[in-house]
Amino acid sequence: MSRLKRILIPAAAVLAGVVVVGYGQLRGESSWLIAGGVCLVAGLAGGAFLSFRRTVQREAPATGHKPKPIAAPRGDDSDSLVAQMLAQGRYALLLRPQVAADLEPHQFESTLEILQTHMALVPDGTVILGEAEDRDQQQEAGREGWWQRQRAVRVGPYFLDRYPITNRQYYEFVASGGYEQITYWDAAIWPAVLDFVDQTKQPGPRFWTDGYCAPGEEDHPVVGVCWYEASAFSRWAGKRLPTDAEWVKAGAWPVKLSETQSSQRRYPWGDTMERAKANLWGSGPGTTVSVNDLADGVSVGGIYQLIGNVWEWTRSDYVPGCFPPEEFISESPLKSLRGGAFDTYFDSQATCQFQSGDVQMARRRNIGFRCALSVSDLMLYRESSPKSQNEEVPEEVNA
Amino acid sequence: MTKGVIVPLETARLVEYAVPIACYICEGQNNFDAEYCRYCSAPMALAHQADRAKVPPTMVAAMGVSGVGKTVYLGMLMDMLSRASRDTRLLARGAFSINLQQATVGALARCGFPGKTPNEPDHWNWVHCQIRNAALRNPLDLIMPDMAGEALLEEMDHPHSFRVISAFLQKCSGSLILVDAVKLIEGGQDQEFFTMKLTSYLGELGGRRGNDWSKRPVAVVFTKADRNEECSEDPEAFAKAHATGLWEQCRERFRIHKFFAAGVAGACAWRDTFDEGRVQVPLRVEPHGIVEPFEWLLSHLAKSKQR
Repeated sequence: MSRLKRILIPAAAVLAGVVVVGYGQLRGESSWLIAGGVCLVAGLAGGAFLSFRRTVQREAPATGHKPKPIAAPRGDDSDSLVAQMLAQGRYALLLRPQVAADLEPHQFESTLEILQTHMALVPDGTVILGEAEDRDQQQEAGREGWWQRQRAVRVGPYFLDRYPITNRQYYEFVASGGYEQITYWDAAIWPAVLDFVDQTKQPGPRFWTDGYCAPGEEDHPVVGVCWYEASAFSRWAGKRLPTDAEWVKAGAWPVKLSETQSSQRRYPWGDTMERAKANLWGSGPGTTVSVNDLADGVSVGGIYQLIGNVWEWTRSDYVPGCFPPEEFISESPLKSLRGGAFDTYFDSQATCQFQSGDVQMARRRNIGFRCALSVSDLMLYRESSPKSQNEEVPEEVNA
Repeated sequence: MTKGVIVPLETARLVEYAVPIACYICEGQNNFDAEYCRYCSAPMALAHQADRAKVPPTMVAAMGVSGVGKTVYLGMLMDMLSRASRDTRLLARGAFSINLQQATVGALARCGFPGKTPNEPDHWNWVHCQIRNAALRNPLDLIMPDMAGEALLEEMDHPHSFRVISAFLQKCSGSLILVDAVKLIEGGQDQEFFTMKLTSYLGELGGRRGNDWSKRPVAVVFTKADRNEECSEDPEAFAKAHATGLWEQCRERFRIHKFFAAGVAGACAWRDTFDEGRVQVPLRVEPHGIVEPFEWLLSHLAKSKQR
């Protein structure tokens, strides 16, 4: 009901009541007085009711956007179980050698297809960690000759999520009882898991309400999760957090030019900052955006939003990049963060090489994560099963 | 012929030199070519620039105890407003006005905080800038010095020991009072006592034409709030809970005041250096709540100008 109608209808009833009462007084007839009184009371009561209903509607939280978690399979139907795991995004578990060998060919094929859709393969090779600092910079900073900033790290082939983990994906973990199953959590953190709650004290990321994210943010990266929550999700999904070197390799995409030289990118899209390609301070809305946005900033391997939107937890410890590690003091161990976020101010802190850190328990508005998976942990190829061979042979004969 | 040309020029210079120019801060008379005021040590460039301006510059103070983050706050504020994408824009007037921004941004980009501001007023960074904002009918010329916290404390304890501070605060149209949220949480009373001293000092200071400090806008900014979520979410409730004395004083002494929370570093750690000892270092720079107190102050300055 429009605001105008809400005001006009009771007002008209009250006015009619006053007129009828007045007319009744003039005529001196009690029936007119009674009718007018009824109109008056009805008008006032109707106005109060509509006003109350409006207030209640305004105060009631938006409900109904929270989806139903993906249903568990009934009975021993392996197709349903595989379908459930695929829908939940736990395809990595199906590709473990112990499980993949028992999958039907069509199940194996569809799982592989989903893996390739959601994750990008990063080839093996060497990546340089740390930025080059020339002699002038070192002299200016008064630290000439004391420290070698760069180091080369060998990285094996692995898959990295094309997108940061979204609220929708994380909800499946929460809804499937991820916060209640201690097997997903580091033993050291068990007592604290009860404290990982949302605004309404339900298990989940810090900025959720009633166990779910704000409406319209389903495809935004999940934030307000600490390093332990990110690790627990990764285990549930059959994956792990990437190491520092793996993350840098996916963004910088090193190319070996000779035995001693290689070329690495400063940003996933090239060597110059283009703010339109990343959600950073001054180039975005000042908060997270959907993980599907900013397709222009994609890396060579097809990975979205490595720079900007949210910082990403890695499994490595933080090692200071701006001064000698032996001078570094922290009250508690820090984990490495990569990539910059929507509020990262300096271009120099939104590069593939820049490393920040935070305490493992930090549940911040601008920290999310994505998962990785070693190729060596997966069965990506298998011999055709005897059953499928039997099916194919007659077709060839017929042909 | 040559002599005939030189003599009138020298005379003109002598005449110019003989005309004194008043310091914009303390109004003391100085030689025309003096770099700093001989009485208060404020840069005379302010007076020269104000002399050329049609409307006299407005002054805003940023105050707080030593180490609260005045330099970082002002430097970041300047840098953020200098970027063209905001509603409020800042244009530095005079090369000296960029020193503060340069020192702050340079240090933060190298994962460090700028050094401590020296006590001597002639070593302070003064900012003279022009502010453009929708709330302001005309661009506003603004002067903001980065005053040393220890000098402020000295002036409060021993009035007139720093003439520049008392003269500047008398002329100020509003102020930003910075309070360290982390130290308040840790139970350190220094922050609260300093701020209470400051509010008392301002209360006694008075102002021109009956415009005492009770009528001027005061933004109380809790700095380092990124390390305290309670403070970021509701600065007023934080003040009431953790700085009750300050909260009461502000209510009693300033009719127009508001509490804010600001932070620059997303996370910090410590570095043990050979020459400086243990220093705090920012692990990344994510400014929050820097512009909001300033824009609130501007809106009140605009209202007072309209009156």
